[in-house]
Amino acid sequence: MALTLRDSSHLVSDPENLTVSVLEVFETMIGVVCETAPQEVSKKSAIEIESVTAVVGFGGILSGACVITCDESSARQIASCMTGMFFEALDDVVKDAIGEICNMVAGAWKSRVPELAANCGLSVPAVITGRDYNLHMQSPEFEVLQVYKFDQARFKVAIVCDELL
Amino acid sequence: MREIRALIVDDSSVMRKIVERSLRQAGVESLVVLEAGSGVEGLEVLKAKAVDLILSDINMPAMDGLEFVRQLRSQRLAEGVPVVMITTESSEEHVKQAIEAGAMGYIRKPFTADQVKQKVLSLLPAA
Repeated sequence: MALTLRDSSHLVSDPENLTVSVLEVFETMIGVVCETAPQEVSKKSAIEIESVTAVVGFGGILSGACVITCDESSARQIASCMTGMFFEALDDVVKDAIGEICNMVAGAWKSRVPELAANCGLSVPAVITGRDYNLHMQSPEFEVLQVYKFDQARFKVAIVCDELL
Repeated sequence: MREIRALIVDDSSVMRKIVERSLRQAGVESLVVLEAGSGVEGLEVLKAKAVDLILSDINMPAMDGLEFVRQLRSQRLAEGVPVVMITTESSEEHVKQAIEAGAMGYIRKPFTADQVKQKVLSLLPAA
């Protein structure tokens, strides 16, 4: 019988699973305690804001991605906490750090769903930076999205997936 | 503790630094770190230099960590040197694959320095 996610759909769509994963990664690897934050509509337009988006794809029993998005300042702050270094610009180390955070959040999240742990692979992280861009995912069936903050940093984490088989 | 020469294989330079920092926090103070950004680079390092310990990511472009371990075992590089996989993949199936490939230890990301210490000390021969 083919393996399906039907019996675990409540785990896949549970925002608490995402939050526990994010808190674990940030506390263990960065040494900061995050908390959830409301989604605020930015007063600045997308053209004005330099942003960073990290994407780790899911393949196998689940098709989708884990996506982390933040502004440049938050990305530099996350990378600083992670490495102990100070960053004046959005350089390759900052991008690398955000990609790795996304990788660990994706891994931690899928490990909380038994069927996904062994039957869902992760892509290597891709990191996009710039202004006024859209990330297009082909017809995502659903999305779990949450904003988090620590100190002055804010970042958005989303799990987007195709239809659960 | 005697000097330890560790090869850290990860496509992320940030993760390589974090693993190195964890080794130092774990009390491996006399530490010489060699770095490689892929399995291919890791094999080249091992052809030129002797190491006491190898820590490798699994999910890497070009040559992943499992293939890297298979290759170093089949090419008889770093014979007897413990290999620890450090990865986000943590299912029993992934652990089994790593052990079958030739790894001797497994650390799941995210990890603490204490977890690195426990694993490394359990694999390194006593001084």
